[in-house]
Amino acid sequence: MTANTRTIQPQLEVLHQLFASATHDASAAMCRWTDGLITLTLDEVREIPLENVCSELNIEDDLLTMVILSLEGDLGGDMILTFDEKNGRQLVASLLGREINGEAEWSELEKSALTETGNILGCAYMNALTRLIDHELVPSPPYFVQDYGASVLQQALMAQAMTTDQVLICRTGFHREGEELNWRVLFVPTQRMKAAMEGALHSAP
Amino acid sequence: MASCTQQKETTVGMGQIAAGTGPAQLKAVLGSCIGLALYRQHQETAVFAHIVLPNSSGQGGSPGKFADTAVPEMIQVLKKAGVSTTGLLAKFAGGASMFGGVGPMQIGQVNAEAVTEALKKAGIRIVAQDVGGKSGRRVTFDCQTSEMKVEQVGANPKIL
Repeated sequence: MTANTRTIQPQLEVLHQLFASATHDASAAMCRWTDGLITLTLDEVREIPLENVCSELNIEDDLLTMVILSLEGDLGGDMILTFDEKNGRQLVASLLGREINGEAEWSELEKSALTETGNILGCAYMNALTRLIDHELVPSPPYFVQDYGASVLQQALMAQAMTTDQVLICRTGFHREGEELNWRVLFVPTQRMKAAMEGALHSAP
Repeated sequence: MASCTQQKETTVGMGQIAAGTGPAQLKAVLGSCIGLALYRQHQETAVFAHIVLPNSSGQGGSPGKFADTAVPEMIQVLKKAGVSTTGLLAKFAGGASMFGGVGPMQIGQVNAEAVTEALKKAGIRIVAQDVGGKSGRRVTFDCQTSEMKVEQVGANPKIL
């Protein structure tokens, strides 16, 4: 693989099909977890030049609340669930059946509710991908972090940056009763994971 | 090769090199990457790289992406901008271990070491650095004052 390798459009289209199917399963899990309140849609699967990735995804120096799951095993990749402060607080309040907490610090219970959301989403996503590519994917325990969005995204991009200047990202959006929310899931596969997904789709009957 | 900007603020993306003069401020948000500034004392022109990985290992691509190729390229950028490259000084920040220091790709410390090594090889003195930890950094280098402002969530800003 060279630094100039790009995924051609037909491959991106098949990857889009695969992620759409996984997003469908994750949406069903999220809908159950939030009593039918929240659903997911696949926004895009695209390659972005490394130097533009944060600006094009509009993730720069915003302070975000995030839950991160890394894929363990030989394929690798990272899933990042991002919220702005207001939306993260709203989700947690609704899950815990409480008023929105105005304290600056997140309590352990609130962090736990958010990481469990990440866990449910991540497991649904990974189970769907496991089935589609016929390779077991096991996510790490979810990790809660509040930091600059770009700092966290950078770390997730490292494995791809080692072999290419174009990074593949899958972005999923959330909706509450049809209204778009400022939450996102970013899935950043490694090159090996990307190759495994492409291989599975090409060998599908 | 990067041209010299006088724009008030320029965000330097992953793997990019940017030069600035006068009131220009060169900015980057960093996790495990390194933001490296090279300048000469009492000159208001500087060059800034957003370094992603330690070694190019002969790979092509943007020279600013790797510590070993970024430093020679930055020296060329300064030369092109008319800055003498003797007595260059360096300030850098970044190299955090994000994700709580867990996971397979904890490259921040290796990046910081590679930048130190590349600067040593080029004979450039390190004036200040702020590296490591588990949090991201927002870094702003002021070409006029040669100050590097480092901001981290939940901490007071530092001036290098």
